[in-house]
Amino acid sequence: MVDLTEATLVRRARAGELEAMRELYERHASRVYTVVRRLAGDNDLAADLAQDAWASAFQKIREFRGEAAFGTWVHRIAVNTALTQLRQAARRRNLEQGFDGSSTQGNPDRWPASGAAERVTIQRALDLLPDGYRSVLWLHDVEGYTHEEIGARLGIAVGTSKSQLAKARARLRALVTESRAEVVDHGAS
Amino acid sequence: MVHLSEETLSELLEGESVTGAKEHLASCPVCRGELEALRRLRSELRELPELDAPPELWSRIEARLPVGGRARGTRRGWRSQIAMQVAALAAVFVLGLGLGRMFAPGDQAGPGSQLVSERAAATSLADAMAEVRRLGAQYDAALRNLEQLAAQEGAPTPSLAEQRLASLDALVEASRTALSVEPADPVLNSYLFAALEERAAVLRQMRVQQGSGSEVLWR
Repeated sequence: MVDLTEATLVRRARAGELEAMRELYERHASRVYTVVRRLAGDNDLAADLAQDAWASAFQKIREFRGEAAFGTWVHRIAVNTALTQLRQAARRRNLEQGFDGSSTQGNPDRWPASGAAERVTIQRALDLLPDGYRSVLWLHDVEGYTHEEIGARLGIAVGTSKSQLAKARARLRALVTESRAEVVDHGAS
Repeated sequence: MVHLSEETLSELLEGESVTGAKEHLASCPVCRGELEALRRLRSELRELPELDAPPELWSRIEARLPVGGRARGTRRGWRSQIAMQVAALAAVFVLGLGLGRMFAPGDQAGPGSQLVSERAAATSLADAMAEVRRLGAQYDAALRNLEQLAAQEGAPTPSLAEQRLASLDALVEASRTALSVEPADPVLNSYLFAALEERAAVLRQMRVQQGSGSEVLWR
């Protein structure tokens, strides 16, 4: 395809041109997938979320007026899609405490087996956090959302968002420290 | 010594001022180290690389896109339906025109064959609307041929009368489908009105014809 401007691609995508949609996807696929993957903490779930986010974006592309860049617009859709579905999943699992801050327990099936000599990278440690912690931490420390914005999106109080963030940082720090200590132990033995 | 809580360390990381925290940090290497570790961790988080989307993701997305006859948005959907119904309608008209040509001498390469070749291009709203308009004209042309046909000996008038009715039903249906999305469109409304009026006239003629036993079904 000829190197088209994003505005042209959006106009063509609005008209239903598949090639234009594909080009827009190619330009922003990594950014969208990365944010949903960080929020989801799981590859399969992230793929589902990315699929839903892109399908939603193209289905309502007529609503895109160009006030922001297309990448910003689709990124916002991806964040909203991920947060909505993570909250629904938490509700289904009766794990709302993962979002309201009353629990410090993570998703048990994501924790490594006891004594496993698994090198936990930052990314892995992030995956190990409870959904609520991970969402608040990522949105605040990486995406730059304020506590007010996070509270509005997650349906929690500003104070809860701050508390979640503090606990998430402490938990992440502990996970990384543990992991690095394990690596040192195994390296020495 | 009592160390700073995780909440306080978090607030300090955000640059907030916490009473007594500055003095504590000055005298506590543990809390200073903890705060610095949290700061490094945040930097590492921000420096995590972008991830490549799974290679099969596009094909999954594509299957849900409003193009190519798959899952469609409302507006694209009705355009597609119109195009398809217009195509079906065209086939009926072509049949009528073709039969008319068979029974009418001369003028062999008429609008029927032209309609067939043009039909495949009706993929946009503008095309579909143009087809609806053209079909109105084609319907009139077909009707004229069928009138001539009905006047000739051996013309298969009863089945053609049913085709005429079926054609009008299809036109009514196509117009109604379009109007469900664009209820105020004056062109579509005029087509629906004209098609309904024509259909009512055909039915009246058929009832009259059945009552009189006449073979003449056309106007």
